[in-house]
Amino acid sequence: MLSVENIAVRYRGVTVLQDISLTLAAGRTLAVVGESGAGKSTLIGTILGLVRCSAGQVTWNKAPVRRCRPALVMQEPRSAFNPRVSLRRSVTEPLIAERRPVDENQMAALCRSLDIPTDLLERRPSAVSIGQAQRIGILRALIAAPPLVLFDEPLSALDAVTQKHTARMIADLQAKEGFAALIVTHDLGYAAAYADHIAVLRAGRIEELTTAQAFIDAPQTAYGRELRDAAFALGALERVA
Amino acid sequence: MRSVLALVSVFGALVLLGPILAPHDPTAIDIANRLSPPSPERLLGTDALGRDILSRLLYGARWSLGLAFLVSLMGLALGTLAGLLAAQGGKLADWTVMRTTDTFLAFPDLVAAVVIVGVLGAGTGSLIFALTVTGWMRYARVARGIGLSLQTRGYVVQARLAGLSPLSVARWHYLPSLLPSLTVVWTGMFARAILGISALGFLGFGVQPPTPEWGTMLLDARIHMRSTPLQMIWPGLAVVMCVLAINLAGDALRDTLAEQDLPE
Amino acid sequence: MIQLFLSLVLRAVVVLTGTALATFSLLWHAPGDPALAIALARFNAVVSTEVVDQIRVEAGLDAGFWTAFKAWILPLLSGDFGSSSVTGRAVWPDLVTAMSYTAPLALSGLLIGVAVSVPLAILAARRPGGWLDRSAVAVASLGAAIPTYWLGLLLILLFAVQLGWLPAMGARTPVHIILPALTLGLGVAASLTRILRSGILEARGQPFLPAIRRRGVASRAIERAHVAPHAAIPVVTVFGLELAFLLEGAVIIEVIFARPGLGTFLVTAIETRDFPKVQAVVILAALLFVTVNLVIDLIYRALDPRIGSHDA
Repeated sequence: MLSVENIAVRYRGVTVLQDISLTLAAGRTLAVVGESGAGKSTLIGTILGLVRCSAGQVTWNKAPVRRCRPALVMQEPRSAFNPRVSLRRSVTEPLIAERRPVDENQMAALCRSLDIPTDLLERRPSAVSIGQAQRIGILRALIAAPPLVLFDEPLSALDAVTQKHTARMIADLQAKEGFAALIVTHDLGYAAAYADHIAVLRAGRIEELTTAQAFIDAPQTAYGRELRDAAFALGALERVA
Repeated sequence: MRSVLALVSVFGALVLLGPILAPHDPTAIDIANRLSPPSPERLLGTDALGRDILSRLLYGARWSLGLAFLVSLMGLALGTLAGLLAAQGGKLADWTVMRTTDTFLAFPDLVAAVVIVGVLGAGTGSLIFALTVTGWMRYARVARGIGLSLQTRGYVVQARLAGLSPLSVARWHYLPSLLPSLTVVWTGMFARAILGISALGFLGFGVQPPTPEWGTMLLDARIHMRSTPLQMIWPGLAVVMCVLAINLAGDALRDTLAEQDLPE
Repeated sequence: MIQLFLSLVLRAVVVLTGTALATFSLLWHAPGDPALAIALARFNAVVSTEVVDQIRVEAGLDAGFWTAFKAWILPLLSGDFGSSSVTGRAVWPDLVTAMSYTAPLALSGLLIGVAVSVPLAILAARRPGGWLDRSAVAVASLGAAIPTYWLGLLLILLFAVQLGWLPAMGARTPVHIILPALTLGLGVAASLTRILRSGILEARGQPFLPAIRRRGVASRAIERAHVAPHAAIPVVTVFGLELAFLLEGAVIIEVIFARPGLGTFLVTAIETRDFPKVQAVVILAALLFVTVNLVIDLIYRALDPRIGSHDA
């Protein structure tokens, strides 16, 4: 279980994150919503163990989070891969780093679940579509079977139809593999549909943290209500009569 | 890039085949025929000790060109290592490497090389040491600059996240992006090394006689400037042509890189 | 602004300290017995071991590294450059004499270089791609490939030996400075022309210029107010580099033309193992460099406020 306890991150005199606490159990999904500049990237960096907290700690099953080797699916699939190297090499990098052999069966199964033809992996990143690249990014994230996977706006670079399929795939894979998923997104519709809990991040603090359904029905804060109403207005959420 | 590689191969051929192509022994002294003008047998004439100038030029390529090549590569290795250390190692490593680079850059390299070789005693070892120690800084700056800009690239973050060792990250993710710019720097440094070795030879601090080297050949020729001025032309011309070729290749490479502006 | 100045000064101090340390360690680790070398140079004959040992103590060579380093650097900080280990005389006056020969050489070289390159660059930039432009760039590229010592020898060959117009050796009369200065100046001109030319072209291509022109500002006014300062930036930077070139050139040229000056001073000091003199020249050169680069850095930032600090 992921446990974020009272972390704060200060950088050059500016407090980027403060008083952040949350928990996430295996197999569960937490969506973090908020506007740009609220500190979402820093939060991701801190939970991944790449950014050092000025206060508090981030643990997985009581151990420092880095030890469970959390994975990250990035927003922009194009820059997430070394352009000079085959996708297969990039995808297997987490295994190479840990000196683990590649389980071809496992990889083939993941490719099937993600609708990735295996010959695609021999190509360079520039030779696949964005949708394919993003799914290959998910493949890389899952190849070492990490217990915790973070998703940074995983759908925002994709077109609407691809978004739906990819979101579905992520959820199915989570059910099968059992990882904990923390999804940062500005798409409340996505959050409502797939997350167990929703956390609202604003100016470095968590404004609200409740179950997804509770948030959609009745947000506790004014800001939360603003977000929800805006999502309804834009059609991201559909009102249930 | 192709022109640079072509150039390197031409130089390499010259250095390796020089001794084979040379018609005469470069150290064979023949006082009877000293300071003779060009003839069919001795295409460029002979020097003050009767040695064939053409042969000396060809043999000299091993020192003026070959040694310069070696020294510039050593500087490349050292500088790239330092630059990557600065980019990957955190604030303290960055500051230390950068201040060290500044310190070494604070001084004109030829003067520093003269002091180093002069103090340590002339010889190939001190020559290599002096030129490497004064020639690594530019690479370090370039490697650091590009390295820092790559730190925030998606795939670099992923590599660090996966726990890939810094060495592997450098090899897989930094070096391929560094290579083009480093090669441009290298062409400039190769040219400087050629000029440096021959300048040190000319000042008497470089390769020692009787080993033929273009700079020392000029030093010898200078004494007989009035009687056989032609002797002064050949070694200098050799240096100029090599340096010019390298500079042109380097310029061409820089222009191609500027056009490409690799999209990443 | 004050903070920037202070950080640059701090950096300069660190660099100077590093140079002092590096120089001292180099000389400390020189092969051979320095006391013996000093004895040989001073007495011009082989001397007894007692005398050598005496010299060793005198010169402070028997102390440890740090003691010796402090013994050198502390007086240095108050302007005392020590005494020559060969002659026993103070280093500073000889150093000043040497500088008095090198400075006019460097200055005239710089003047010639500027006098040649500025008009050439301006003319070349007037019609980029034209025959004047391309030949200027070609000649400059060629010039950059010509080693200074070769150029000097060729000039001597032409003007002194063949034509007999100008003197080649020594520094007796003011005329003696012409060939050396010319050698130096042409080398400077080669690189300055290229840099000035691309500086002018780049300055002309600044994105806000067409807007200003459309407003009807005269061409010449534009050149003066917007092109020139922006083109001045690389030139200012280059001055720092040219200083290195001038110093290196001075060493070579003074040897070729048998002129007294810092170059000959240094070479002689190295050959006679007169380490205090070597240290003095190195530190002086480093001081000069660091100061000039510091000033250039400040001018740079003053000329173009857009340039921010992007290094450690």
